Amino acid sequence: MTDQEKLQKALDDLRSATGLDLHLNAEDSRDPEQTLSQLRQLSSAYKEKYNRDFFLQSILGEAVSRPEIDARASRFHIDAHGERRLFLIASRNVMDENFIELLKNLFPSSHKYFIVRMDGQRIVLISPCKAPGTDDAELTARTVVDTISSELMTSVQVAYSNLFSHLSDSAEAYSQTRLAIQIGRVFYPEYAVIPYNRLGIGGLIYRLPPALCENFLREVFGVNPFDALDEELLTTVSRFFQNNLNIAETARQLHMHRNTLIYRIEHIQKMTGLDIRIFEDALTFKLATMVINYLHAKKENSYE
Amino acid sequence: MASLSLKGIEKVYPNGFVAVKDFNLDIDDKEFIIFVGPSGCGKSTTLRMVAGLEEISGGTLEIDGKTMNNVEPKDRDIAMVFQNYALYPHMTVYDNMAFGLKLRKVPKDEIDKMVREAARILDLDKLLDRKPKALSGGQRQRVAMGRAIVRNPKVFLMDEPLSNLDAKLRVQMRIEISKLHERLGATIIYVTHDQTEAMTLGTRIVVMKDGLVQQVDSPQNLYNNPCNLFVAGFIGSPQMNFLDAAVTIKGQDVSLQVGSYTLKVPASKKKALINGGYDGKTVVLGIRPEHIHDEESFLVQSPDSIVESTIKVYELLGAEVYLYFDVEGTQVTARVNPRTPLRNGDKGRFALDMEKIHFFDKETELTITD
Repeated sequence: MTDQEKLQKALDDLRSATGLDLHLNAEDSRDPEQTLSQLRQLSSAYKEKYNRDFFLQSILGEAVSRPEIDARASRFHIDAHGERRLFLIASRNVMDENFIELLKNLFPSSHKYFIVRMDGQRIVLISPCKAPGTDDAELTARTVVDTISSELMTSVQVAYSNLFSHLSDSAEAYSQTRLAIQIGRVFYPEYAVIPYNRLGIGGLIYRLPPALCENFLREVFGVNPFDALDEELLTTVSRFFQNNLNIAETARQLHMHRNTLIYRIEHIQKMTGLDIRIFEDALTFKLATMVINYLHAKKENSYE
Repeated sequence: MASLSLKGIEKVYPNGFVAVKDFNLDIDDKEFIIFVGPSGCGKSTTLRMVAGLEEISGGTLEIDGKTMNNVEPKDRDIAMVFQNYALYPHMTVYDNMAFGLKLRKVPKDEIDKMVREAARILDLDKLLDRKPKALSGGQRQRVAMGRAIVRNPKVFLMDEPLSNLDAKLRVQMRIEISKLHERLGATIIYVTHDQTEAMTLGTRIVVMKDGLVQQVDSPQNLYNNPCNLFVAGFIGSPQMNFLDAAVTIKGQDVSLQVGSYTLKVPASKKKALINGGYDGKTVVLGIRPEHIHDEESFLVQSPDSIVESTIKVYELLGAEVYLYFDVEGTQVTARVNPRTPLRNGDKGRFALDMEKIHFFDKETELTITD
């Protein structure tokens, strides 16, 4: 990047933060590096003092201490205290300005609701809890998903945190929702809304060290856990579990004779030693497939 | 408007969960198709695949003959209305309807034309300056519909749009949607778990369970000729009664043994049991509540299909009465005339209209037909 380009970028940044429209030429400057540094400091200082989004982003990034939050929040007319919940709206596609525009119109009170873009694929909504017992996080999350789907024709996942009572706890709430999105993508991809407090067994597996998971798989499937079962067999097993281990119903749904299904189940037993018609073995198998999904996702980084 | 074709559509999530399997359906231009089924049956997932909000794992989706599998949702020329609609609270009705178009940078004069046309169709012309809090529940719902209509799409997709409304408003909006379909002449795919909504709105209904299509038919045919036990039980309220019945075939005489009762099968229903080789086997007998009668005239005419029981619950619904009683340990519901003298604890005699009964194979749960 040339000096002029660097300078222009700093000027653009300053303009977006402060509204000041300055024109400078790198050639006119005696020391372009120093000019750049001063401009950057000016932008940063302005953002810290006057830009609410920057302030909230800093809180979510754990870059502001609690006493500092109390002091600076009042400058933005924000009450740092009060029951709130954080919603993380995540998409695999880039979320353009229309997403922010839509959310700001859906939750128009800027004193109550805070909408913060974290990056191109993540937006945070911090929402107040109306009154104890009336907080309907699920409905809020579903409304966001449905409105974005119908207005912007994009599918998003929304995770929501536990309630918190001080803005300084929003960093922890943000971590909760990021984790919920990651776990949701691995274990519950069919759900658009993922509450942090309902991550179930997926949440448990996700917290296990990969080495422990691999050991467990070796115990269940032997030396080659990933290739032990083909996709067709896994689909059969998934359907069998969905039908609560009911052979007749599974065979009917898969359009196969019950003897074919039994043959497949016995084939799995030969390969793994697990007879999935028995509850305990079915449970082990189910856990193992969840662990496989987790390790696959970790390998491919597909939950990020 | 548009026709759609879904060929062998499947949705399998990366974790192996099979949400939809081998979904085949051709939807004609201007049809009002309903996807109905219990929660988790795959109806919303199928709709979202049509919309492009879910990737299609297998099969082909065509709109007007063009394959749409990899076409972006915004380029599919569809509009959607969902259950959890929310209006923008500080915007007027006009702005609420215009918002989506503004985001898409549609020119102002075009937006104005589209919004006013949608408002006219929805009878919202006089409410365009109002804000959502000044609207009734039904008017708000119409604004939500308006946001879809302004796009003038080829296909409307509606996912349980009335589920959050109270019962009275739901009935009112059902009528509104039906009228809207006529006015727009649009192709609509509508998802619901409410079989009354399905029966009253759809030109054809797709009944789904566990990700599989069970039956695609007109409302009347679904009700009269369900293809299996699930459809028979799901369509109709109160639901069809089911009793285990042992079949006895002696020459051309066919009878059913339901516990201690022997019921004679009429000529029109015999063939299926004879041809299917059901002699000595147990089948499931299905009979709708309105085909169980307590009137004396019916009892006299049907001496070969009478059961007796004590009334457990009497429910008066105004124009009709539901009587609940047990037949050989199975609860049965009869829908009878409110002039019935029977009350809780009374012993009653009931004649089953054997011309209206259904038979289902106990193992496959499929309807037994000739």
